[in-house]
Amino acid sequence: MLTKGDKYLIIFIIIISLLSLVFINKSALHYGKKYVSIQVDGEEFKRIIFDKTVIGKTIPIKTEFGYNLIEIGDEKVRVIEADCPDQLDVKQGYISKVGEVIVCLPNRLVIEIKGLDEKRDVDYISH
Amino acid sequence: MKGLQKLIFLSLLVSIGLALGIIESMMPVPFVAPGAKLGLSNMVILITLALFGFREAMTVGVLKSIVFTLVVGSVSSLFYSLSGSILSCFTMYIVYKYFSKTFSLIGVSIFGAVAHNFAQVLVASIMMNNIRIFSYLPILLLISLFTGYFVGLTSKFAIKNLKKTFKTIFF
Repeated sequence: MLTKGDKYLIIFIIIISLLSLVFINKSALHYGKKYVSIQVDGEEFKRIIFDKTVIGKTIPIKTEFGYNLIEIGDEKVRVIEADCPDQLDVKQGYISKVGEVIVCLPNRLVIEIKGLDEKRDVDYISH
Repeated sequence: MKGLQKLIFLSLLVSIGLALGIIESMMPVPFVAPGAKLGLSNMVILITLALFGFREAMTVGVLKSIVFTLVVGSVSSLFYSLSGSILSCFTMYIVYKYFSKTFSLIGVSIFGAVAHNFAQVLVASIMMNNIRIFSYLPILLLISLFTGYFVGLTSKFAIKNLKKTFKTIFF
């Protein structure tokens, strides 16, 4: 069934994706203090630095694109309510590492964990 | 094959793709990664590509995306769907036309799935203005291996039987 080219292709893709997974995880290890950046339609809506005092807090995000309710945990964050039809952001659960994102496409919402001592953000290059 | 018969068959393919897309959106996917889908409607594009050619496959892909948007009802999904099907159609055509000795239909389908995922992540990161969305890509690529394999295998059987049917009916 599979030709030789198919097998090489499959092995190639597995290697590429595993390597980039390792790379993403590694680049997340370098940061000390973390904060949550909540972006709506590409612009930062709010940033929350992880702290003992914000554990268990919920933040409603109501914009022209939709409604999401975010819960902050101990160095982690998740979406607990959303009015989008697919609810993918709720199903994803907690994110905790730098670079991890929760995306809600219908509501144009991106929740991203960033490192505080990140000197050159990606946004500096693209703007 | 005559024009009218071709027209009818292509519209049948579009509606099959639409039905597959709707069934697929009802199916829960047992993966953690958000946005991962089986890509069943890619099967229709692959079958059209193998039976008719590039122009017809592109037509079916674009029509399917537009009609699917009308059914599901969110305009923003049109961009994701369109970009995915156009890029995957291009890629599958090039691989199918020029590298069909190296890659079987399964390989072609995996290429299509990879291109589809890449286009969607690209459009998402442009629309969200955030390049970090690319961190989803490795997981999506791994999943697209399995879905691409499944789609390729299924279309292989479908194409084999359809070619036989075409010979007895139309020629």
